[in-house]
Formats: sequence, structure tokens, C-alpha cells
Amino acid sequence: MIEKRKKDLPHRLQNSISAVFRQSSADRLYIPLISGRDREIATMAESKENYDLTPRVAPNLDRHLVFPILEFLQERQLYPDEQILKFKIELLNKTNMVDYAMDIHKSLYHTEEAPPDMMERRGEVVARLKSLEEAAAPLVTFLLNPNAVQELRADKQYNLQMLKERYQIGPDQIEALYQYAKFQFECGNYSGAADYLYQYRTLCSNLERSLSALWGKLASEILMQNWDIALEELNRLKEIIDSKSFASPLNQVQNRIWLMHWGLYIFFNHDNGRTQIIDLFNQDKYLNAIQTSAPHLLRYLATAFIVNKRRRPQLKEFIKVIQQEHYSYKDPIVEFLACVFVNYDFDGAQKKMKECEEVIVNDPFLGKRVEDGNFSTVPLRDEFLENARLFIFETYCRIHQRIDMGVLAEKLNLNYEEAERWIVNLIRTSKLDAKIDSESGTVIMEPTQPNVHEQLINHTKALSGRTYKLVTQLLEHTQGQAAR
Amino acid sequence: MSKFFAQTGSDSEYESDIEEELEEVQDTNAGGAARYLPGASDSDDEDLRKRVVQPAKDKRFEEMVNTAEQMKNAIKINDWVSLQENFDKINKQLEKVMRITEAVKAPILYIKTLVMLEDFLNQTLANKEAKKKMSPSNSKALNSMRQRLKKNNKLYEDEINKYRESPETEEVKESEDGDTDDDGDEEEEDDFEEDVNVEAESEEEEDSNKGDPSWEKMLSKKDKLMEKLYNKDPKEITWEWVNQKFKEIVAARGKKGTARSELVDQLTHLTRIAKTPAQKLEILFSVISAQFDVNPGLSGHMPINVWKKCVNNMLTILDILVKYDNIVVDDTVEPDENETSKPEDYDGKIRVWGNLVAFVERIDTEFFKSLQSIDPHTREYVERLRDEPMFLALAQNIQDYFERSGDYKAAAKVALRRVELVYYKPQQVYDAMRKLAELVVEEEEDSEEPKEETGPPSSFIVVPEVVPRKPTFPESSRAMMDVLVSLIYKYGDERTKARAMLCDIYHHALVDNFATARDLLLMSHLQDNVQHMDISTQILFNRSMAQLGLCAFRVGMITEAHSCLSELYSGQRVRELLAQGVSQSRYHEKTPEQERLERRRQMPYHMHINLELLEAVHLICAMLLEVPNMAANSHDARRKVISKNFRRLLEVSERQAFTAPPENVRDHVMAATRALTKGDFQKAFEVLNSLDVWKLLKNRETVLGMVKDRIKEEALRTYLFTYSASYESLSLDHLAKMFDISENQVHSIVSKMMISEELHANWDQPTRCIVFHDVQHNRLQTLAFQLTEKLAVLAESNERAMEAKTGGGGLDLSSRRRDNNQDYAGGAGGGKWQDNNMAYSQGRQGYNGGARSGYGGNRSYGHGGQTREWSGQNRGTGGYGGRGGTGNRGMQMDGTSRMVSLNRGVRG
Repeated sequence: MIEKRKKDLPHRLQNSISAVFRQSSADRLYIPLISGRDREIATMAESKENYDLTPRVAPNLDRHLVFPILEFLQERQLYPDEQILKFKIELLNKTNMVDYAMDIHKSLYHTEEAPPDMMERRGEVVARLKSLEEAAAPLVTFLLNPNAVQELRADKQYNLQMLKERYQIGPDQIEALYQYAKFQFECGNYSGAADYLYQYRTLCSNLERSLSALWGKLASEILMQNWDIALEELNRLKEIIDSKSFASPLNQVQNRIWLMHWGLYIFFNHDNGRTQIIDLFNQDKYLNAIQTSAPHLLRYLATAFIVNKRRRPQLKEFIKVIQQEHYSYKDPIVEFLACVFVNYDFDGAQKKMKECEEVIVNDPFLGKRVEDGNFSTVPLRDEFLENARLFIFETYCRIHQRIDMGVLAEKLNLNYEEAERWIVNLIRTSKLDAKIDSESGTVIMEPTQPNVHEQLINHTKALSGRTYKLVTQLLEHTQGQAAR
Repeated sequence: MSKFFAQTGSDSEYESDIEEELEEVQDTNAGGAARYLPGASDSDDEDLRKRVVQPAKDKRFEEMVNTAEQMKNAIKINDWVSLQENFDKINKQLEKVMRITEAVKAPILYIKTLVMLEDFLNQTLANKEAKKKMSPSNSKALNSMRQRLKKNNKLYEDEINKYRESPETEEVKESEDGDTDDDGDEEEEDDFEEDVNVEAESEEEEDSNKGDPSWEKMLSKKDKLMEKLYNKDPKEITWEWVNQKFKEIVAARGKKGTARSELVDQLTHLTRIAKTPAQKLEILFSVISAQFDVNPGLSGHMPINVWKKCVNNMLTILDILVKYDNIVVDDTVEPDENETSKPEDYDGKIRVWGNLVAFVERIDTEFFKSLQSIDPHTREYVERLRDEPMFLALAQNIQDYFERSGDYKAAAKVALRRVELVYYKPQQVYDAMRKLAELVVEEEEDSEEPKEETGPPSSFIVVPEVVPRKPTFPESSRAMMDVLVSLIYKYGDERTKARAMLCDIYHHALVDNFATARDLLLMSHLQDNVQHMDISTQILFNRSMAQLGLCAFRVGMITEAHSCLSELYSGQRVRELLAQGVSQSRYHEKTPEQERLERRRQMPYHMHINLELLEAVHLICAMLLEVPNMAANSHDARRKVISKNFRRLLEVSERQAFTAPPENVRDHVMAATRALTKGDFQKAFEVLNSLDVWKLLKNRETVLGMVKDRIKEEALRTYLFTYSASYESLSLDHLAKMFDISENQVHSIVSKMMISEELHANWDQPTRCIVFHDVQHNRLQTLAFQLTEKLAVLAESNERAMEAKTGGGGLDLSSRRRDNNQDYAGGAGGGKWQDNNMAYSQGRQGYNGGARSGYGGNRSYGHGGQTREWSGQNRGTGGYGGRGGTGNRGMQMDGTSRMVSLNRGVRG
């Protein structure tokens, strides 16, 4: 027990995570970025104070998953083009997308010549592709034959047996399929990789490999932007991670962190993602992981909390987490919440709101643009601002009896008429128990002294439920023991 | 000189050793000693020297000679019975002689007798007829003699053989002995000896020309036999010989009458004449063990010069180990008898018995002990502290060696020792140590240089100083700690890890890294386990908690600081808990045994945490929390006690008829409390500011500024609590002016109070006023609320009891907390640690409810949160209307048992 806990040490964790990387990267299919590149990204981030999380996020992603981020950064012109292109080449050097790398090289140095080592590598890649293709050929042809595939059944054992007997496809070929899929992935052929990996998983008997394949599948789906399927894969992975008895808790935490990072792509693109992200991140185990080794993820969770009305009850818990972590991570979005709910500093909150806007626009996950005719808007930004405004207003109203409309309008970043309309709307939809006194230009809150009886009832309401729960548990326990 | 040290070696220690010896001799026989100064090497002097007589030793020799004579006579008459008796006698005398002369080698006289006896025995046995003629008793004695002689002679085989081979030289030496020993024995012999002396001298001259050490160096009878050992012709020294001597000396260890320090000297000499590196190593190990033995008993500490020598020996050992990397030190397997005879170029492992870690730990312990017992106000103490770099260098080297040889477990142990020397040092002290280390080494190098030139003649194995004698320190103490503790976390065993963790926490707290220190503490769950650990670890834990409290205070986290410190102060035993002095208990008389044990645990003075500062911090924290709390619950003061200790002190001070001007820390805080209760923040701060202890803080200004701010804030809160009933409305400007706080801050503080329903009021924005609502509950309502609170506590304790029974898996604490419409602002903060569900919740009950909830939300204003905290406290008091019931009581017992267990340890 103790040993287990010792391994949870937060700050030792930081050191050992990089170790985990190096260990696992050898046999892992989808390798997170290695530190050398990190450092460079970090220096590039330091030069600009724009709350860019790329350097902190990137190490937890697969190489290929970093491309969309770099594309985004390029588009936003946050860094000099040249720098980004260089990073791209560097990224690509470890992958097999040589042609792409050559293109970038050309545009970077404005030459028509690709460097010889790239040409060489191209040759190697093609040769390797060939050999892998050959190795995997029997299984691939089998899988391409719809009639043959129909013979497969749900029973994995049976399938293996059958393949071996009728098609002479043994573990070697299956292994080859995996390698082939991996190679396809590295070449940028994600759909092919996804297909092969799916097939592979039905045939694979090795748990480790199967997990690897699942990661690969997830990456492929994300890169192909099949959010629904990706979400399914994500949940599958989550189950495995939560259930699987990992060698060390450290490893498990690491896997969770990867999962959360990869999930960011899905959550901010999927329709239902903003609820899902709270459901995933706010689980204790995942929250632990965030707190111990990836506090920057708090930004995304905070954003999700602000834009998502449905998960409001959990917000209070989350505020506490923020308070606790304020020493390790700071971010306008997180600070905004702290201003509103911890310090009741409304002016501060307003300033933060403006900063938040910039953060959201510049964040690769949050700042997704939607082209609307000539306009390109960031839907999340608008939503965020609206909700943030509501947050401020709500809290503000709770502690005030009379508010000047002018001040209120200012606080809400609206003009007087807009503010009045907004408030009237709130009153009409009975979200706000107040009246507007237009003579003096104030909003008067109805006194909201809770009835004493109500309070008492509130205090005791939960007790019976808790007691019931306790009793049932006790019964279950005793029955469980009796059964034994 | 050249005569003495004909062979110019490379080590000068030997010389100084001899000088020391000489001085000793001088002291003991003041009369003739002056002559034996090394400069006086004329032959006249030598003659004189040989004639010096020392009665006590002479007597022994005389006896021996007499016995030998008797044996000669017995041989002549073939009387085996008396031979047997005399043989016993001579053996006994031999022992005495050896003891007195401190020799390792039997005197020649004895050997001669043995040879004579053996010859005669063989002769008798060969002569079968004569044997038959013997009387039964005589033949019986003969047989037993035969066996015993055989056994006995084996011990002296070398000498006997040597004697047989070259009876002449032995004869010479023997006669030499005879000469000095039995001065006026027989005229004839004397004459003969004179002749021989001349011979010997001429021989010696030749010898010295050849570069051999001379036997001339005999100093006195006491040292003579030793000298023989020292002056053994290097050519004659073989591995076997050294090995045998070594065994003899080791065998003498622990026997009555063996002077411990002399044993060390003898062994030290042996190290010089050791033939193989492995042998040298083996002997060095014994030297160190012997050095540890120099001081008997547990209470005293090892003499400092011996300690230093010991460290040097360890370094030499390391030199050997590093140079000859085929030698392995091991204490698990008993090595082969002749393992050490293997030459240095032997390929393959040479195993030598020994345990470096144990030695290092022992050396460290001795260092610690010496600091414990030296009066800290003397210069001696400071001098002693300056030896620390020396040990650090040793530990560092040993750790390096272990790391190189892949024994990380041992390395972790040594690393812990280093950690324990560094963890309590703030950066300034650390820097000072670094500087000192460099200085010391330079000095030593200066003084050592010349020594290296000359050296003992007979050090066969000359080991260059491969291992650096200087500790290297990273720039910051934090860096050093990081390196060491990460090694320990990786490879150490449970105790090592726990201790390293505590040191780590302490050090983080020392450099104001409160968050890191807190995380480490909570994640390691040391709070739960520490009561099962040994007492010194518990003390370390208490020290860490104290330091953590101070740290929290420095960074302005009052609640946390209070939770860390309150338990230390819950009994009157801070001194005892921190091992910084003995606290007198009124109720328990300690037995001398307990007192001794306790004294042995004391921290050396330089490691102390200033108790006055600690008390001031604790009381100020308690004041800041308790004053507004008391104001808020003025109608029901006994409820919701945050700090019992503080309340008690306050009561005592209020009972006084006259309040004198404050003298000690406690008086100051009480005076401040009185001022604060009235809302007079300025006076409160002035009183606190006049405390002396603040000068101990390095960032005094900022801390005092923080204290001032907090006092203002709490004064404002107290004021609002106390007088809100008397106001219809209060303006923001007025409040801000009154308490000298910025309007924003006032707004924020008051808003917090409103949201948490501590204050029933609302802002009126256009007029910038607080409008109070009169919502005083009537008596019935108040009681009803109290009842619900109790119910909640009861339900919770039930759940906890259930949890403890079912193993914690059953109840999902956090989800329940969410359903619960109470605001557990204070309670739930530890989300991070909920992964370890069971242990976490135990910790919650265990260490102290207040502490944990304090950790949780930084400042909980939530109503529910506070009740939670308070309920924890109330359970602690256990006196309030049976709240909580037995289950709670039990848990509370658990909570305090850790501190108590220390005490138990004291008594048990």
C-alpha cells in the first residue's frame, strides 16, 4: 500500500514521466513527442506571453496529432512562419511522410532541391513499405475478400484457428498486419491504418498490442475527424485504462493524461463534447491525474464548466480544485472563476474576461472557427462570454440589494439599453427575482432571505437518503458475508 | 634520522606516530626518556638505552627465565611431570609478558624453550626403551605433553622454524632481549652479549646501508615487542606473517586488560606492512571497528581525534576499493581464509568481509552524539561543527562508490545520511558550509603536502589518494536535496524513504515552498503511518510539521499554519515532541532510564527550531482565527472552538485582576487579542511587532506586513460580527477608512461574508452601503439548527464507522458530498488525494480534522464548511453533550494517538 502511494508523488512524478516516455516509446505505436523538440517549443512560447499551451500539450500527443495544432498556430500567425515550418520538418523527420517534409523544406528554403538525406529516406520508406506490404499480403487479401470475412465469427479463438487451417495465416502474418498498419499511419494514410487496426484488434490476442492498436485507431479517427467513432474509441480506451491492472499506478496516470489530451480534439468538436469533457475530467481519478501532472488541462475543464449549464452543481467542487492548484497553474480562464467565486472581485473578473477572449481565440482546441459567409466567428468565444457575463451577474445580484443600471451595464460589457433588455428578459423568464426602478435607474432585488423552515428542511433533507444508502450498503455487506 | 628511516617512504604519519609514542614514553618514565628522542642515535646512547630497566616488566621476564631454567633441569632428569607443570607455568607467564609488553610476538626465550622441549620430546619418543622404563605417571605426562606441545607449537610455527633456520640471529636478538631484560642475570651472558652487541651493531650498519629499517629503534621495554613488530625486516614480512599477527591482535580485542587504543595503534601499524591490498583492507576494517570500540558505553561519544582518524581510514579504504576494483566488500558471505592473500593483479573478485554502510552510519551517529553532548555555547561545539564537511566528503565518496558498483540500496542509505545533514540548513547556512568546506580542504592540503614526502618505511601497499577529500556541493541546497532524495525514493527501503520524505518536506518548508511540502506530506500519507515508526522518525515528523507551520505562516496561510501547529501545542510537551529539551511533567516522574533515553534523542543545538518563534506563530494564528470566531458566536461561546489551547490561555489572562505589561510571547499575544477584540487593530499590531522573535525571520518586513493585513481583515470581520446588530446600514468608505483597508478589499471581504451567510446583509450599490437585515433566529430556531448539525455529524460518523468496517470501498464519499446541499467548502478540498480512497479518509479522521479541512479550502467561509471544521474540533474536546457518540470518540483518540505514542515510546 505504502509503496503504491509513494509512487504517486507529484513532483517526483514530473521527473519520471519523461522516463516513462522513453520506456514506452520503444514498443508503443504512437509515440508522444520527445523532449528535445519540446524544449524548443518551450523557448518559443516563452518569448511570447500569450498563454499558448502548445509546449505543455504537445509532449502528451502523438506526432501526427501535433500537426493540426501547428497548422492552427501558423494560421493565427502567433509565431514566425519559418519557425513553425522548421518544427514541422523536424516532426516529419521521425515519421514517414517524406514527401510532405520535402514540400515544406522547399517552401521554407525556397529551393527546388530536396536535401539528399530526405531523398534517401524516401527510398528507404518505400522499400520498407513494400516489404511490409508483402508480409501482410495474405491477411490483407483475406480481409479484402468479403466472402471470406463473413466466415469470421465473434469467437476469437475460433477465428485464429480457422485462419490458420484454411488460409495458412498465423501469428506472424497478424503481427505483420500490425506493423503494416503502423507504417501506414506513419505515412499519413490514416483511413487505411484505421481499417487495418480495427481488423487487427479482432484478431489480436496480445493485450499490450491490442491497447497500442486502440491508441492508433483513436489517433487515426481523430485525424480523419470522425468524431463519433473517435468518441467511441475513447470510451473503449478509458474502460481499458480504468480496468486494466497496470504495472504501476504511475503508468496508469500517464495513460489517463494521454487520454485526456487526445480527448481534447474530440470534446471541442463533438456536439455533446462539453458535457462529456466534464464527465471525464471531473472524475476523481482523472482530476487527480490533472492535478498531479497536467494542471494546464484545468483550462479546458474550466471553459467547459463555464459554457455548460448542465453541470453547474459540480462547479463548486471544481472551484476548490482551482484554489488548490492556483500555485501550480494560472490562466485567465481559471482566474476568472477564482475572481467570481472566491474573491468576489468583479472588476477583476471583467478584466479577466477580456483576457479570456484572447486566450480562447488563440487556443487550438477552443478557438475553432466557423466560416459564415464573409465572417469567420469563433462560436465558443461567444458562448463563453455570454455565460461568463451571466456568472458575474448572478453572483453580483446575490450580494446586492440595489444596483445602478449604468454600473451594471458597464459590468456586463453592454450598453444601457441592452442591459435593460437583458435584465427584463431575465426577470420575465423568472430567472431573476427583481424589479427595475426606471425612475432612479436601478434594479432592486427582492429580499431573498430564506425561510428558516426551509433552511431546516434543506439541512435535513439529505439525511434520510444518506441513512437509506447506509442501510442498504450494510445489508449488502452482511449478505455478501453471509453468502461467503 | 637516516638510520631510523632508512627507507624513505611516502607517508609521514608514521613519523609523527613515533613521535607521539616517544612523547608518551617521555611521560611515563620521565627519567630516562629524554634520551630516546630520535635525534640521539649515537651508539653510546644505544648502549645506555639498552640498559634501562623497568622493574615490573623485568620481573615477568625473570620469572619466565626461571621457569625456562627449571624446565631445562627437568629435561635433564627426564621428569615429564614437572615439565608439564612448568610448561603450563611458562604459558601463563608468556601471556603476562605479552600483555605487559604489548608485543604480538612471543619472546625469543619462549620460542627457544619450545624448541628445546620439542627436540627433547622427539628424542624421548624415539627412544622406546626409555619410554617403557618410565613410571606410569611420567609416561602419562609425556603423552599429554606430546599432544599439547604439538598444538601449542603450531601457533608459533613460524618463529620456531625461523629460529631453527637461523638460530644465530635469533640468538642475537634473544640475547639482546636477555640483555635488556635481565640485566644483572649472569655475568657470562652479559659478556657474551656485549660481544654480540658489537656484532649486531656492525650488522645493523650494514643493514641500514642496504636500506633496511633497523631494530635499533627500540624505545623501552613496553614498546619493545611492538617494536619488533614494527621493525621486522621487510623482507621477512610475508602475507602469512602479517595475517597471523593480525589474527593475534584481533583475538586480543575485547579481552580484559587489552587497552583499546593500543589495539588501534597496533592494527594501524599492521596496515602499513600489509602485503596485499585486500589484506590491507581487511586490517583497515578491523582498525575502524577497534576505533569504534575506543569509547565504551552508549552515552559518551567517540573522542574527536579518533573520529577524524576513523574518517581518514574510511577514505583510505575507499582509495583501495576504487583503485583495485576487483576487491569486493561484502558482509553476507564469510570469505575464504586466504582470500586476502590474493595479489593485487589477481583477476577475479576478491571478497573482503565488511560493511561500509554500517561504518558510515556509525561515524555519522558518533558525530551526532558528540554534538549532542558538547555544550553548544562553547567554541568546541563550533569546532566540532566544522568537521561536518569532512563527513560529507566521505559520505559522498562512499555513495559514489556504491552507485558505480551498482549497489543502489546502500547508496540510498548513505544518501539519507547526507540528506539528514543538509535538510535543516537554510540557504545561507548551506553557503557557509560550502565555503568552509573549501577552506578546510585548502588548509589541510597545505599541511599535508610535506607529510607526503616522507613516510613510513614499510608501507608496502601505497595507495594514492584517488578519492577526492573534498565534498562537492551544488549551488543551492535544494538542488542537492533533489538529487539525493530522488535517489532515495528510487532505491531506498521503507524507513529510508519515509525519513527522506520528511527531510524533503522540512526543506521545502524551509525555503517557503509550502504547496510542494504540503503535497508531499499528504500524498505520502505519512500522517497515517508515522505512529508506527520509530521514535526518531516521529520526532523528525514533528519537526517537519513545525517547520511546515512556520512556512505556512510566512506565506500568509494562517489556517494552514494553525492546523499544522495546533497539535504540537495541544499538550504541554512541545520540547519533548521536538526533542529540544526535556519538559517537566507534573504527573509523571521519569525514571533515570527514561531520562537517559530521552537525552539520547535530543537534537543538537544547531538543528533546533526556535521555540519562541514557534509559539508566537501558533498563538498569532490561533488569535486571528479565534477572535472573529468568538465574535460571531458570542451568544454561544462554548460552541465552535478552533483552538482550545488559545481559549484556555485567554481565560487565564482574563481572570487576572491586573494586567501587567507583556513580558513573554504569550503575554504579547494576549494583549494583542484584547486589542483586536475591541477592533483596535493598530494597538494589536504594535504589541505583536514588539516581539523579539521576528528578527529570526529572514523576510521579516513582508511577514510583518502580512500579519498587519491579516489583523486588519480580522478586525473588520470582528467589528462586523459584533456590531452589525446595532446598525441599519454602514458605508463602505467609512469601513475602509476605519480599518485602513482599500475599498476593494473591504468589498471583497464583506461579500465573502454575505455569500457564506455569516453576515445577513446586502450591498446597496448606488449609495455604496451595507444594508443589514435583522434575521436573528429565536431561541427555538437556534436550537433546531444545532440539532440538525448534530444529526449531520451523527450521520457522517455512522458512515465513517461503516466505511472503516467495509474497507472504504462502499461509500463514495465525494459523490455523497455533492448530493449533500451543505457546502463543504472546507472539507472536500483534497480531491487530489481521493484516489487513495481509504487512506485518504483515514487521514481525514486521523491526523486532525482541523488540519485537513484547513488544507482543503484555503479559507472556508461556507457555513457548512465551518461547522465541519468545528465539529471536528468539538469531537476533540469530547465534552460537549456527547456529540458524535462513541465512534467519534474513538476516532479522535486515534487522531491524537500519534503524538501520544511518542510518549508511550518514552515510557515503554
